[in-house]
Amino acid sequence: MTVEAPPKGTHALDLEGLPPTRYPRRRRRLVTARRFWAITIMTVVLASAVSLGFGRQEVVNAGGWPLVQRFFAAALNPVLTADFLRLTWDAALTTIAYASVGTALSVGFGVVFGVLVSQTWWGLDSGGRGRWWSRGGWLGARGLLGLPRGVHEVVWGLFLVSILGLDPLVGVLAIGIPFGAVTAKVFSELLDEASGRGFRALRASGTGRVKAFAYALGPEAFPDLLSYSFYRFECAVRAAAILGLIGAGGLGYQISLSFYSLNYEEVWTLIYALIIISGLVDLWSTLLRRPNRNRFKVRPHGECGSGPSMERDRFVNLSLVGFMLLVGVSAGHLGMQVSNLWAPRTRNLLSDIGAQAFPPDFSAATLSSLWGLSLETLAMATVAIAISTCLSVGMAFLAARTVGDSRGRQGPTAVTLALGSRAGLLFCRAIPPPVWALLVLFVFLPGPLPGALALGLYNFGILGRLMAEVVENLDSRPVEALQAQGAVGARSFLYGVLPLTLPRFGGFSLYRWEVTMREVVVVGVVGAGGLGRLLSAQLNAFDYRGLVSTLLALVALTLFADVVGSSVRRAIR
Amino acid sequence: MMKLARLSVLGVITSLSVLVGGCAGSPAGDEGTSAAEEGITIGAIPDQDPEQLQRLYGTLAGYLSDELGVPVDYEPVTDYNAAVNLFRSGDLNMVWFGGLTGVQARLQVDGAEAVLQRGIDEEFRSVFIAHRDSGIEPFEAIEGLSAMAGKRFTFGSESSTSGRLMPQYFLGDAGVTPDDFQGQPGFSGSHHATIELVEAGTFEAGVLNEQVWEARAQAGEVDTDAVEVVFRTPTYHDYHWVVRPELRGREGGDFLKQIVRAFTGLDASNQTEAQILELFGAEEFIVTSNHNYAEIERIGRETGLIN
Repeated sequence: MTVEAPPKGTHALDLEGLPPTRYPRRRRRLVTARRFWAITIMTVVLASAVSLGFGRQEVVNAGGWPLVQRFFAAALNPVLTADFLRLTWDAALTTIAYASVGTALSVGFGVVFGVLVSQTWWGLDSGGRGRWWSRGGWLGARGLLGLPRGVHEVVWGLFLVSILGLDPLVGVLAIGIPFGAVTAKVFSELLDEASGRGFRALRASGTGRVKAFAYALGPEAFPDLLSYSFYRFECAVRAAAILGLIGAGGLGYQISLSFYSLNYEEVWTLIYALIIISGLVDLWSTLLRRPNRNRFKVRPHGECGSGPSMERDRFVNLSLVGFMLLVGVSAGHLGMQVSNLWAPRTRNLLSDIGAQAFPPDFSAATLSSLWGLSLETLAMATVAIAISTCLSVGMAFLAARTVGDSRGRQGPTAVTLALGSRAGLLFCRAIPPPVWALLVLFVFLPGPLPGALALGLYNFGILGRLMAEVVENLDSRPVEALQAQGAVGARSFLYGVLPLTLPRFGGFSLYRWEVTMREVVVVGVVGAGGLGRLLSAQLNAFDYRGLVSTLLALVALTLFADVVGSSVRRAIR
Repeated sequence: MMKLARLSVLGVITSLSVLVGGCAGSPAGDEGTSAAEEGITIGAIPDQDPEQLQRLYGTLAGYLSDELGVPVDYEPVTDYNAAVNLFRSGDLNMVWFGGLTGVQARLQVDGAEAVLQRGIDEEFRSVFIAHRDSGIEPFEAIEGLSAMAGKRFTFGSESSTSGRLMPQYFLGDAGVTPDDFQGQPGFSGSHHATIELVEAGTFEAGVLNEQVWEARAQAGEVDTDAVEVVFRTPTYHDYHWVVRPELRGREGGDFLKQIVRAFTGLDASNQTEAQILELFGAEEFIVTSNHNYAEIERIGRETGLIN
């Protein structure tokens, strides 16, 4: 039974060969992990941008401005006829029903698998070190999760439709499975980040793993888990676009229908509906996080042991019950045929597809084209996330409701700014990526760059929100301390806020980077799109053998991003 | 703490009971239906005027239900691939497919048959359009398509017959392969989007369904100072209704005859029926058969869209 060993530094990089005890070690290392990653990331971003043609060819197409203007001008004239509002209302209800059941499934999935793939569960320390079999087990479990995660929900939807038919279950599973895998990954990281001391203490005193998790890590990670679950709900609302696959409708589907018929006024009505729903979910999650924020302030006064963190207020409880009711009612309303999962027809259809998909196409030509397309996918995702990270970091501080003036108070300007930038972020993520792609394409020449830009704008909406939440959830004590000592505005921000937020910001960017790899599936309109474009060509030709190898390449990219992501996170933590 | 526990238990029980109630309620009805009086489920590919068709399908379902005397459900499936798969699994008994998707669907279901199409589908065309600044002048002969080489070019949807398959075939006749464009060809996703992207100048040229072009041009929604038609393709067979074998054999073939009559008998002087014709952009429906699509199948195989 090992209790923590003190972290060991490596001295391999001591350039001057001096005894390591004389000076504090960290200062003298020229190449720290942080610097290594900072330089690598910058190089990769630049190389990606250049490989996509940045600076080498003409990219702007000014001729399309009037079209973009027409789209945005329509924002002032949404269609408000009774018929269309009725359609919007029905679509909104459908969307919420699928999204809530899908979220419940993914959170359930996330809790179970999140624990199973956490380093803490496998007995690894925060640096990921431990016995070889623990490490192997952890890597294996995590690798398995890459499979559902690397496949876009649209592809899941198409696969499930082909074996389950027109069952509402398809919509729920297509949201629940990939989102569940993403949730599991995030939960495992949140669990690992929640300090594991309580857990180790309980384990050391002979408590079983499951119990130790339930009592030590659960309550500690609860606010973050809750906050993330609500974020997931909002994602599910947006992802419900895939419901068109089973003829179920939904907002996302109606948006693309109106958009492809160029009825911009209708598109705006639907976007506003999506913004309202997302905004309400956002508001709900903010209200929920409020008591938890206070918790951090309570703790230093010595009440930690008595468990103020366990004392969730009434609103949290009611919300939990309310959400469960929503899920229950929605599930009843959708009328899923769970027995369909093991029906003979499903088995037949599955084995039929299996026969068509086997053996996967692994010819040399295919592999080399997959390699090239993987690099292009990687480059597009990298540029997209670089764009959205730059935009989001600035926006996060504007959008956070907690950032006030130099004395920490919020004036009317700050509130207006916060609300305005929140609305802007909502808007950016309410427009589905294919729509962004077409809009961007009006004013840019075709190629991977506009594809990356479209994904960047969409991700800006998501990353900006996640980062604003980080700022709001921030431990306010360092800033308060600095301000008490007389530090004003910029300085308290630089020293009190930035050091605490940047690592989390980096973490979120890396996470979206991974997700964006599979998102390139949906921006094929730009005349590029790496693996995504190939995938959609194969789907349209019913080339299942090729499809399997492309999906495996996407899964490999996801795992690669996962490994890189966790190394970087460890370095900047 | 106790209170939370109790509340949660209550919540879980309520949700479960609703869930179980909801699930228990429906299966009996679905599994019991197997034979004669069973309703049918139809669907349509959202290619031409996706919006109208998908949102106003109630009209068609109601009309067919009256004509056939059985319940008719219309499922507004948006995705080509999903529609084909649902046809294969038997969830959709009858689907309005494009030329290519109809063939793809029939190849996956033994005994499926193309039964009806619109008058215009017998002699369907695509139009190649170009931006005025592209330097592409209108031409008559198919060889003129070689002017597309080296240009930024966009198709419509990947599975579209008029927006992709046939144009790619005609381009091939003129010696232009998809690799000959500047960069990769785009897939705009819809005929309408193709017009917009060429109008914007993002792509110098593109190709789409002639019917959509005419409709938009007549409505004055195209900026003819920016974009013009440079070539109309030869004709080919396009959109059609495909039925699954069980529908064909139902009631010794009488049921299918009824369906055919319901469509061919659509009367423009009747308000509801006129609306249906308008939804499909049709003046009339006519009988068709599988062999009309042999050419599409051959071209599909050549271009790798049919395996």
